[in-house]
Parts: sequence; C-alpha cells; structure tokens
Amino acid sequence: MKQQLTYISILAAFLGGLGLTSCQTTYESVPLGQQVTLDLAFDPLDSLGKQAMSYLLTTYQQAFYSGYNRVIGNFMDAASDDAISSASGIPAVQAIATGAYSAANPNADDMWSRDYAAIRNATVFSVYINRVPLMEKLPNGQPARPAYRSEARFLRAWLYFDLLKRYGGIPLLGDAIRQISDVIQLPRNSFSECVDYIVSECDNIRDSLRTAAMVNPTSYGRITKGAALALKSQVLLYAASPLFNGGNIDPTNPLTGYTSYDANRWKLAADAAKDIMDLSVYSLMPSFNDVFINQAAPVGTNTESICWMQDGPGNNVESANAPVGFSSAGGQGVTSPTQNLVDAFPSDSGYAITDAAAHYNPDDPYAHRDPRLNLTVFHNESLWLNRKVQTFDGGLDKPGGTLQQTKTSYYMRKFMGPFESVTSNPPSYFAVTHNFIYYRYAGILLNYAEAANEFSGPSTDIYTILYALRKRAGILTGPDNTYGVPQGMTQDDMRTFIHNERRVEMAFEEQRFWDIRRWKIAAQVYNSAPLQGLDIQISSGGQIFYNPIAVLTPIFRDPQMYLYPIPYSEVIKNNQMKQNPLW
Amino acid sequence: MFHSILYHRLPKMTGLLLLAMLTLSMAIPDPPVSGKVVDDYGHPLPGVVIHIKGVKTEVMTDKDGSFSLEAAAGATLVFEHTGFNVAEAKVQDGRPILVRLLDRYLHQPIPPAVGAVATGDSIYLPYAPSNSLLSLYGRTNARSFLGSVATIGPNQLSTTPAPSYLYALPGRLAGLNVLQTSGFYTPLTADLTSRDIFVGNIPNNTSGAGPTDNTEFNVQLRGHNASQGQSPIAVVDGVQREFYSLDPENIESVSVLKDALSTILLGQNSSRGALIITTKQPLSGPPRVSFTAETGVQTSLKLPTPLPAYQYAYLLNESLLNDGKSPAYTAADFNAYRDHTDPNGHPDVNWYNVVLKDNARLNRYNLNVTGGGNSARYVVALNYMDQQGLFVTSDANPYNTNADLKRYVINSKVDIDVNKDFNIGLQLFGRLQDGNQPGAGTSTILTGLLNTPNNAYPVLNHDGSYGGTANYNINLLGQTISSGYKADHVHDIMANLDLNYKFDKWVKGWWAKAKGNVSVQESSFQDRSKQASVYTQSISSSGDTSYNHFGSTINQSNNFTNTSWARYRFVQLSTGYDRHFGDHTVSASVLFDQKKVLLNYDIPSALTNYAGKAAYNYKEKYFVEGALAYSGYDRYAPGRQYGLFYAGGLGWDLSKESFLQHQSGWLDQLKLRVTYGRTGNANVDNYGYFIWRQHFSGVAGTYPIGSNYPNGGGLAEQGIPQSQVLANIDATWEKADKLDAGLDLSVFHNHLQLTADYYHERYFDVMQTRGRSIALIGLQYPAENIGIDLYEGGELTLTYQDHIGDLNFFATGNLALQQSKVLFMDEQAQKYSWNVHTGHPIGQRFGLIADGLFQTAAAAASAPTIAGYTPLAGDIRYKDLNKDGIIDQFDVAPLGAQKPLLYYGLTVGFSFKGFEASVLLQGVANREEYVNNGYTDAGFQAQKNGYSQAYTQASGRWIPELAATASYPRLTAGGSGYNYTPIFTSNSFFLRNGNYLRIKNVDIGYNLPYSWMSRLKLRGIRVFANAQNLFTHAAYKGVDPEVSLPNYPMQKVINTGITIRL
Repeated sequence: MKQQLTYISILAAFLGGLGLTSCQTTYESVPLGQQVTLDLAFDPLDSLGKQAMSYLLTTYQQAFYSGYNRVIGNFMDAASDDAISSASGIPAVQAIATGAYSAANPNADDMWSRDYAAIRNATVFSVYINRVPLMEKLPNGQPARPAYRSEARFLRAWLYFDLLKRYGGIPLLGDAIRQISDVIQLPRNSFSECVDYIVSECDNIRDSLRTAAMVNPTSYGRITKGAALALKSQVLLYAASPLFNGGNIDPTNPLTGYTSYDANRWKLAADAAKDIMDLSVYSLMPSFNDVFINQAAPVGTNTESICWMQDGPGNNVESANAPVGFSSAGGQGVTSPTQNLVDAFPSDSGYAITDAAAHYNPDDPYAHRDPRLNLTVFHNESLWLNRKVQTFDGGLDKPGGTLQQTKTSYYMRKFMGPFESVTSNPPSYFAVTHNFIYYRYAGILLNYAEAANEFSGPSTDIYTILYALRKRAGILTGPDNTYGVPQGMTQDDMRTFIHNERRVEMAFEEQRFWDIRRWKIAAQVYNSAPLQGLDIQISSGGQIFYNPIAVLTPIFRDPQMYLYPIPYSEVIKNNQMKQNPLW
Repeated sequence: MFHSILYHRLPKMTGLLLLAMLTLSMAIPDPPVSGKVVDDYGHPLPGVVIHIKGVKTEVMTDKDGSFSLEAAAGATLVFEHTGFNVAEAKVQDGRPILVRLLDRYLHQPIPPAVGAVATGDSIYLPYAPSNSLLSLYGRTNARSFLGSVATIGPNQLSTTPAPSYLYALPGRLAGLNVLQTSGFYTPLTADLTSRDIFVGNIPNNTSGAGPTDNTEFNVQLRGHNASQGQSPIAVVDGVQREFYSLDPENIESVSVLKDALSTILLGQNSSRGALIITTKQPLSGPPRVSFTAETGVQTSLKLPTPLPAYQYAYLLNESLLNDGKSPAYTAADFNAYRDHTDPNGHPDVNWYNVVLKDNARLNRYNLNVTGGGNSARYVVALNYMDQQGLFVTSDANPYNTNADLKRYVINSKVDIDVNKDFNIGLQLFGRLQDGNQPGAGTSTILTGLLNTPNNAYPVLNHDGSYGGTANYNINLLGQTISSGYKADHVHDIMANLDLNYKFDKWVKGWWAKAKGNVSVQESSFQDRSKQASVYTQSISSSGDTSYNHFGSTINQSNNFTNTSWARYRFVQLSTGYDRHFGDHTVSASVLFDQKKVLLNYDIPSALTNYAGKAAYNYKEKYFVEGALAYSGYDRYAPGRQYGLFYAGGLGWDLSKESFLQHQSGWLDQLKLRVTYGRTGNANVDNYGYFIWRQHFSGVAGTYPIGSNYPNGGGLAEQGIPQSQVLANIDATWEKADKLDAGLDLSVFHNHLQLTADYYHERYFDVMQTRGRSIALIGLQYPAENIGIDLYEGGELTLTYQDHIGDLNFFATGNLALQQSKVLFMDEQAQKYSWNVHTGHPIGQRFGLIADGLFQTAAAAASAPTIAGYTPLAGDIRYKDLNKDGIIDQFDVAPLGAQKPLLYYGLTVGFSFKGFEASVLLQGVANREEYVNNGYTDAGFQAQKNGYSQAYTQASGRWIPELAATASYPRLTAGGSGYNYTPIFTSNSFFLRNGNYLRIKNVDIGYNLPYSWMSRLKLRGIRVFANAQNLFTHAAYKGVDPEVSLPNYPMQKVINTGITIRL
C-alpha cells in the first residue's frame, strides 16, 4: 500500500510538472517584433520618420512600374506601329496589337489592380504621414513633411492618369483607407471629374514639392514641382485630344470622354506646358543620346528630364534589345522596329523622305538621314561594338534558324550607351544609367506646340520649338535656319508635322501607343496596311537588295479598342461598375 | 453435451492462454501422438487447436506449445489459431510432430474463428472480445466501435518495397486516396528566415505550416482537397506528429479514422480524419531477432518519347508555316539531322538517354529485436535505407552527384509493469536523413529534360567541352554531373513517456493516463553547387575550329542554410472509468491535451483540448456514445480562440437479437451504426501568419532614392508588394457537420466480413476569398470563412478468408465512391446558367466546350471565334453557347461528366505450406484527366528565345492528309492562344478518360522448412520477392495518370530480399 502511494505521488508530481510547464510562457502571444503596427509604421514619436520614409519608398516602387521592356519583356511601343516583338510564339505585346484580348482576358498592359494597389499605398502615406512629427527641413527652410506628403499625392495622381488613359473615367477613391468591412462597390467617376481631380491635385501640391534646385544627391530621384506641372500638362493634353474632346467614342457617355467639344481645353493644355517652359529650369540637352543615359541635374548634367523612374547603372536595355550577334556583350534583340518608323525619320536636311528635297535613295536608304535615326534603331551596317551590324539574311545578327532575332532587319538602339566603338576586347558594355524618363523637356515643348497649334494655329512660338528640337537632333541648319521645317504651314499641315516630329523624337518612350489613340487615328494607323520590315539580301558581288516585307497585320476594332475593357471580374463583382462601350 | 461444455468453458480461458488439454475419448483407442507447435520464430505457440481431420476430436497446445492426442497413423491433424494460417500434418507411426504456423496475411480486428470440423457438426471457439482495434488514443473493442475505420497490418506494409509507408496505402484503405505526386522526395531548400532591416530576422515560412517529410503523396480522406490543410492528421504512436518517412517494415499497422465521433478528441482538427500509425510493439517472450535485407531495382514509369531531331525540325517548320512565319530549317538540315552526319552542327541528342540511368537501387536493411518477460518488454528497431536516384554520375567526381536519400532510424520502446496497476512506457525515436541531389537541382534537370529539344546543342564538343549555345548556356549533362551537389540533412529525435495507472483498488474500473512527448526536428541544406560554361564549336571555311564561350563558370560554392528548426511538445492527461455491470457496460473518460509547436523563428502555436467521452452498451447489443471537445487554437484573435465540438453515435447489433439468435450458426455480427458530429479544422496558418492582425511589414529591395541608387528595404501593409493582404479580424476555424452511417456484417464465423459506410459531410465556414473581392480596395482580400461544401459518398470493404487443407487464401476488396458539391462560394451574378460554379463538384474544371476540329478553311472562317484570333482549318471548333457569335467568358461551362469518383483496390493471396503470394490491384474509375502539358502535348513552346522540345504526340496533329485521325489541333510554334491555354484556362478537347488500373503490388515469399532451420541453428529464413507498380493500364496512354514530368517520375520497383530470424 505504501508502495502504491509512492507511485501515485510520482504520477501526481509528473502531472503537476506538466501542468506547471504548460502555464509558463517564454514567448509573446503575438509577433511584436516581426510585424509593425500602424503606430510603429507612422510613429507619432519618431521625428526622423524612419519607417514612414521607407513606406514612401515602397509607394514609389509600387507606382513606378518598370519602363523598359515593361510588357512581358517588350516595349509597349511594340504594340504600336513603331515596332513589333522579335520573340517567338505569340508575345503578349503582339496580342495587344492584334486585339487578342477581352474583358475576361485583359491584355498584358492591364494595370487596373496594380494601379489601385499603388493608389492605396499613396493614400495611406498621405493620410498617416501627418501623425509623424518630422523634423526635417527643405533647403529653403520650409518643413519637409508637406513635400513628402505631396510626393505621395503626386504618385496617386500619376496613377489615376495611368488608369484614365487606359479606361476613361475611373472610380476616384479620395483619402479614405478602406478596410475589410467596408463596402467598395463604387461607381466610376466621369472623365471630366477625373481630369479635374488630377489637375487639382497637381495644383495643390506644386508649391509644397521640392523644386529642381532643391534636389541634392540624397534626395535625388524625388518628385519635384516640375513633375507635378508636367503631369498636369500631359493630363490636359490628353483631355483636349480628339478621343476625349469631341471624338468621344460613346458621345453621350461621360465616362469615356467629354460629351461635347471645347476648344478651350487646348488652351489649358498649352498654358500648362507653357508654365514649365516659363520656369526656365529645364532645357534641351545638347546631345540627343545623352538625355537617356545621364543623371539629372544637379547630380548629373541632364537638364532635360523632369520625371523619371530611377534605375541604377546597368545594361538591361542593351542585353534585352541589342542585336543578337554580339555574343561577347550579349543582346537578345527582342524589339524589331518597323520600316514604318524608319520611314518617319526625315533626311539630315530635315525633309521627309517622300519630299524630293530629301534626295532619298531607296538603294542606300540610311545615308543622309536625321541623326536621330541612328540613335533610335540599328539597321544593316550600323556601327556597334566595333563592327557593322549585319541584318541581311544570314548575317551575324540575322542568322536564321530558331534563335530570337529581328523580324524587320532593325533592332532598337535608343536608350543605349555609346557603344558604337569600345576599347574593351572582346567588345563589351560598361554600365550606364538607365532611368526611364516619363516626362522630359522636349516632350513638354511638343505638348505645347501641339496644343497651341490646335488652339490658335501655327505660330512663331511653335516654329521656334521645332527649330530647337531639330537643331539639337543634329539636323542641318538649312536655308534661313529652318532645319527643313516647311514654312507657312496650315493648321492641318502643322498638326501632321508635329505628330511626326513627336513620333520621331519620342520613339519607344511609350508615347506613340497612346498618341495614336488620343489623336483617334489608331484605326487608320493599324488597319491601313500590314506593318513593314525589310528582307535584305546580299548578292555574291556584294550588292545589297532591300525587299520590303509585311511583318505583322495588326487589328484594331474601331472604336472598341480606343479604351481598354474594365476587367470583367471587376464588373461582375461591383454592381455599380459600368463596362466600356462594346466590351 | 460435451460440445456445449467446451463452448461455455473456453471463454473463461482468457485469451486462449490457459493450458488446457482436452482429450475426448474415442471408441477405438489409437496410439498416442505428441508434438509441438511453434510460430515463425520457432517459439512454442500455446492455444493452438488441433483436431484430426474428419474426427470430432480436439486438443490445445500448452504453454510449451506441446500437445498429445491419440491418432491413427495416416490420419491428418489440423492446426488452427486465430492469428495464424491453418496447417495440416500427417501422423506417421508415433513419431513426434513438429508444426510451424505462419502469420496470417490479413490482421483483422475480428479474425476468423477457429473451428474444429467434425462430421455433420461444428464447434467454434467464440471470438473473445479484445481491444484489438486501434482508435485515436489507444485501442478499443471492434464489436462496440461505432465509427468508420479501415486498417491494414504489418504484412500489407512490409511487402511494399518503398522508402515510406505511404507507398503501401493506395488501394488498401477504403476512402483514403493516396495520390502520388512525385517519385522521389523533395528536400526543403529555402532559408528559414530573411533579414529585415528594421526588425532583424523574420520568418520566411509565413504560412505557419510546418515542414513535412511527405513530399511524394497527396493524402486525401474522402476526397477532401479543396481547402488547404484538410488531409488527415497523422498520429504516430499516440502523438500528433507528421512522420511519413518511415520504413514500411517498421510499421505494425495503419488505420484511418473517418467519421466525426472517432476523431472528435482532436477538437479543432477533428474535421480532418486521422491516420493512426503504430510502429512495431514490444512482444513478450524470449528474444526475437529478425534481420531483413532487401534490394530493389527502380525503373521509371512512362517517360515521354521525344521527337528525333529531323522530325522535330520538320514539324517545327510546319508549325512556323502554320503561323505565317518563315521556316527555320532547310532540306539540307533535315538530311544532316536524319543521317547524323554533322553531330556538332546538327546534333540529335536523346537527353533521356544522356541524363538518366536505366535503373537505380533501393536498398533497405531492418533489424528488429523484441522480447521481455512479465514485468518488462522491449523492442528495438534499426533501419537503414538508401534510395538512389535516376541521374547518371561521373567517376571523375570524388563525391556523389546523384539524387539520393539515405535514412537511419532507431526506434526503441520499453514497456514496464511496475506493479500490476502501474505501467510505464518509454519510447525513444531517432532519425537521420541525408539527401543529395545534383548541384543544379533535381527539378531543374527534369524540367530541362522535358523542354530541351534534341537538336538544341551537342552533349560534348570534339575537345570534350560541354556543348551549348547563346540560348542554352547551360548544358544538361553538365548540370547532371558537373554541377557539384546539394546535400540536405534532417534530424529528428522524439521521446515519448506513457504512464498508466489503474485505480482498481479504490474504484474498480478507474484508470488514469499521462503522456508526455518532446520531439525536435532540425533540417539543413548544404549548397555545394557549381556551374560549367558551354562552348559552341564552329569550323570556319578554312577548316579552323574555334570555340565560342557562353554562360559562366561558377566555382563551387559552400553555403549552409538552416532550412527548418522545429520543436513539438505534446502533453495528454486523461482519466476514465470502464466497467461492466452485468449486461451493462459503461465507460467514460475526460482528457486534457495540448500540442505546442515551435517552428523556426515563429512564435509557438498551441492547440489545447479539453474533452470528455462517455459510452454505454447493453449486452453488446445496443450502443450509445457521445463526446465533447472544448478546443482552442492560439493563432486566432484573443477571445475567438475556443470552440465547442461534439459528436455522438448509436449502434445496434441485430445478430444479438433473439429473432436472429437462431441464425447464429452463420451470422456472427450485423451491426448498424451511425455517428454524427460537429467538427472543426483550424487551418488558418495556411492562409497567413497571424491573419487577424493588421500590420505593416518590411519588404526587400525598394525604390532607390539618392544619386548612388541605394536599394534598401521598404515597408508595406501586410505582406509583400503586389500581394498585400487585408487582415481578417474575424477568422475562425472551418467547421463540418458529419454524418456517417454504416453496417458491419460478419458471417460464416467471421470468414466473410463486410463493412459499408455512407457519409454526408457538410463543411461550412470554409476558408475562401470572397466573391466581391474588388480590386479598388488596393489590397487583396484574405481568405474568409465563407464556403459551404458538401461531401457525400460511400465505402464498401468485403473480405473473405478461408482455407482448403493447407491452402490458406484470402481476398479483400474495397470500393469508395466520392462526390462533392459546392453549396455556397459567394459567387457573383453570372450571366448564363452554364457559367455558374456553385452546385458543381469542388474543384470542377471550367472551360470552353470543344466540338472537334475545323476541317476546312471555310468552316473555320465562318465560325464564332475568340477576339483577335482567326481560326484556320485544324483549329478547335468551340461551341458558342450563348450564340452571340463570339467565343468569350460567357461560353465557359463545366467540363466533363462530373460522375462520382470510384476508387477501388483488391488484394488476393494465398499461403501453402511455406509459400506465400499476394497481389494488390488498385484503380480509379470515372476519373478525367486534363492533358495540358505544354511540352508533351503542344510542343514548340516559345522558350529561351527559341522553341522548346516536342514529343511524339505532335505527330498526331491535324494536317489535311490526316484530318480524320488527328488527335491534336494543327501545330503552332510557341503554342497557340487559341488552341491551348492562354485564352481560357481549359477546353474540353484536352479532357481525356483518366481511368487507370495498376498491379500495385505483387509479393511472393518462401519460408524455408523449419527442419532445415534447426540444423542451421536459425529460427527462420524467409526469402521473398516483391514488386511495386508492376503494371499499369491507363485509358489515356500519353503520360502516367498520376505523375508526369517535370515531376520526378513514378518508379516501378522490383525487389528481392531475405529475412533471417534468430
């Protein structure tokens, strides 16, 4: 019996021991360190705002979405008439050009969810940053907090514009930060409300942002006043454009554009561009190629870029797009510019190649051309890495077989470093700065020229701008210092001229794809003829034959494709969401 | 009269252990015959019933296994024992008879009764009720069990030549679908933390799901796989612990508990069912030492057949022309590929032959020692296994580059009776697993194997360097033998202490138990990989050979990563009361347990149960049972952690009723039983780490502000950028209302047994993303407790075993019919009835309905089409369900017949003298397979700036000449968004009959005669051969129905071995 009691007491001790250990806690019950609560993220006690500042960086990252080769490895421009993708199969960007998308299967450029996610980030920052007692001062002595808050608001406005140009009017969410229990079946705002909102945001934040002069190496890359003005200029230019102003694809539908034409919208657009010109902060770079590979002032010498996505030095653009025959340096040649784009470049005297004055020779097509051509595309016999590019049939850069290679005999050259001649052996690249520029001064000048011409016809101002751009491009001065710009153009002639100049100057800068839509010429551009390339043959005697070939037949369903479809899932989940016409 | 005495006395002989030698006097005295009966260890076997064939006489062996009776020379003696096969022996003029009885193949909870057959009359030893059925935390009586259970014993397991016992389960347990997903284990390779600049180390494993050593099987009970974390809970030796990588040879039995009542003690995990695994138990008696050595040869099932280079080139040209592109190859290229005249410029490499071996070894060694006396028993099991992989190796490497898994396990148990009331059980378990794979990684190589065309590049150049090109800048053979290796190690230690106390002295029937368990697991990963450059050999017109270099040479790295660190603690205290009062049997118990899991750098989670259970039966005729569990999981928000779960059951054994009593000559059991319960499934960890907690978290690599482009960390709301999730403050466990109604029938003295179950399980609060997950909110919606799903089906198991003379035979078959239905999923308004997902089976595939192929250009041109595509002859014709002239989301409908899935298995076998043989057939019917492997079924995918491999399937494409027999649409290079997946995820053209039947397992064995053994001073030798996945019949021949590349292919194993008993 005594023994029994001993055992029982052992058992009881064991049980007691278990009970004891299960009561003790070594660990917290919720992950305090691993997860940062709102109070820590936007700390009312942190005068440095350390976490809040890193939240802002994430907001930038969310909003600015990789520019070069953005659409599944391709340039957005490869869905316009300027280029096609060299990739095998059916690349996503080609599906955009051929209309192979629908509301249920949005195209690869559908930014709906992505942009709204970033909009939330920006709103969260702009609301909660007010809790953080930031001590930092701007160089002009003003507190820095409003500048940071305005950066987030800029990004949000920028994102709304990103949506607006794709979908027309979209739901504006304001400053509310919605939680799981909130109803979010919100309707779309009208096109005009969206434009007004973006413009008013730009106006509200312009003076609290840093000016370009206030930027120092530490704050390099932050949004400045110039960016806000440039966004405003761009929004107003789009708002004034035919697609939305007078050419609404659904004339009585306030979601898809203005329901009536108002010429004054062109004036607003011109004035907004003029505001930037009047700042006298930005100027054209002397060399066209330097615009894309130099850091902006004051860190670098770039006086032209106004708003860009920061990207460190590297060679991503080169390795993705350079000709495929340079095995030591690498190049996957994913972008095949079209003959259509090449033909848009004038001669070195500034005349269109269709103009007899250009002395264009189809058997020597690249001689005496606008210097921007050589800085925009590689053609057969362009110099690159110490040798001539060979895009004739069987050439090093167009070897045939299954390798990805040009389909048009052209590769994209723009944005690359000056690697025509290099000293390294075997030839290779060195890292260059590859910021993706959203707004630059040349574009603002073109915005002004276009808007001013539409509002009041050709003017000296407009001619001056065109001369400046062409001078910088390296076009011969020509008689009377006109750089080949025809004199005495009518408003229509001038429109055509500016459209072409914009295409040439801003090729691959993700302008053309949207321009042909807002100009409402996409149906004509896409559906008139297949896009062209060249098949280049060299005879045994060395004679070169340039045979035009059709490379892609785009399909544009007019007017349905002027706007993207709202993703089908958003429409069925939200009973207030109206689909765009015909989708 | 004599018979009835025997009948009534035997039950009192408590388990047939009592030494009773009963001799019945006969009219004519025969000479006495004596002898001895032993088991397969040669140990004396008491309680064996012996009778003379055709004569109404029987005796039993005593504790020394000896017997003596009077029998004429030439008479046949029959030896029977419940756990053993029946044996016969002829009496030979007075010489002593030595008989060895061999283990029955099937270990049933209610074994066939032992009977002595006399002319015109039978006497059966009745079944003695015993706690032979494994339940959740102990053993129970099969007669009074009300739940749904299926069990297999050691023989089904040990005949399976495999690294894990899960391989033995397909086709054997009704209702448990064990679906293979890979033919080899996949190690953990990811780091367990990442560095956050603000808060230091943060866990990468945010799902909270712990490491598992099962990476080869998807284990589903009754078809549950829709929601994460619904597979059965593994309970190994009474402890919830995910041990799957155990040698089948070490396992005593595996049971699956399927209904609500039998798993309700799992509280918040009770919805999931339980897989009860018992490792080999101590046996009392003199030491039994058994050593088994086995070696198997593994060969891959169903590898696809690549196109030879010339066919590839020809068909790629055809594809390019179909796409309106220029062809890539000339006639000269075809010739060079076909004639192999230019192995460097025009290679034709069958990579399967280059990279894979024909077969690989699987070696296993097991040593098991058990024994003990009345007060203490022990078992020690040692296991070593080496499973080799399929990759070729090179003697040039001083190390192993092949995929490989070596495992060392020691499992020891000591069971001590301190006194007759107090029992202590102690178990120590240790496991070391050393895995290896080529430095490039098994999955990388298998993916490369699948997608690299035969003509991509030569294996080696003339100078012995690896071939390659700008696109293929890594060589597949180089990845296999020249990429170093990656080793992984898993270490487990588990200690288990059981204390059992009977308080019979104070209150008869009162007992208490305590169980404590600590288990530690650590896994690490060593990366010693490297990479070799490749070269393109080119010969200039002047005959000079040059080598162009691609890719990069990466020196061997030496990185060590701790991939997992886990500690499990389990404590269970219970006390109860079991007592018979005449015809009334009551039992009641209460239980507390807590499972604490500490994973990696996470905060430990604790699952706590307070449970009670009570059962009553009257005369083993009417049964009633109920249980409650109050169960909490601390990963839910405070105040929302505990819930009440309950279950109850009723049973009625009709065979005990007076109106059926007179049938008792053949009817042994006819039990109707039903259970019902409200169960739970706390699977929140699969949907996020502390999902209820609104927070911000650090993210890596954010926007570079500053002139030197710093790339530091950032901060984002809940999650990583682009996949940030809202907090779900209301998260709770999934619930289920489960009904199980069953029937257990045993007839012909338990020789024929039938178990049938019907179940109806309504799962609700199933974690799903809401239908109104509008993107405007800017974050993703979390999984919420939304869905309602119905699972319904039935299971049937039929077993017959008997003997004809020395020939013992059995057959056991099972069927499971499973159907599911989505009752609610917050689906938003669909335009057409066929678009609606609700009401269809869970996981129903939706897609376009194919209506053959367009045979003419005219037919294609006039048909409705998908936006942006112009179909041509040879493309799939889709049905325009809403007749609007466009193929779009409104034409998407459920695909397939939606018939309930039928899983079945049949094991038949026999034993004759020392020979044993068994076969397991396993199959699935009403299964549909979606054939959507882009490489094997479409081919020529856009890849690496070129085109990927294509397989012989491509030759079944549509061309005008073969229009009638085409099994695939016209070829396109890079896949067509029209015929293949990019537009809508599925179309019915690629839905194939997925039925299959496998000869899953075959085993033959021979036990060398016992007389030889005694001469060798051994206790027994068994030689055997068995095979896994010997033959497969599949309705669709293209790929293996379960596993296809790039997953590691399923293996056929042919295994031979020997067991030596000392």
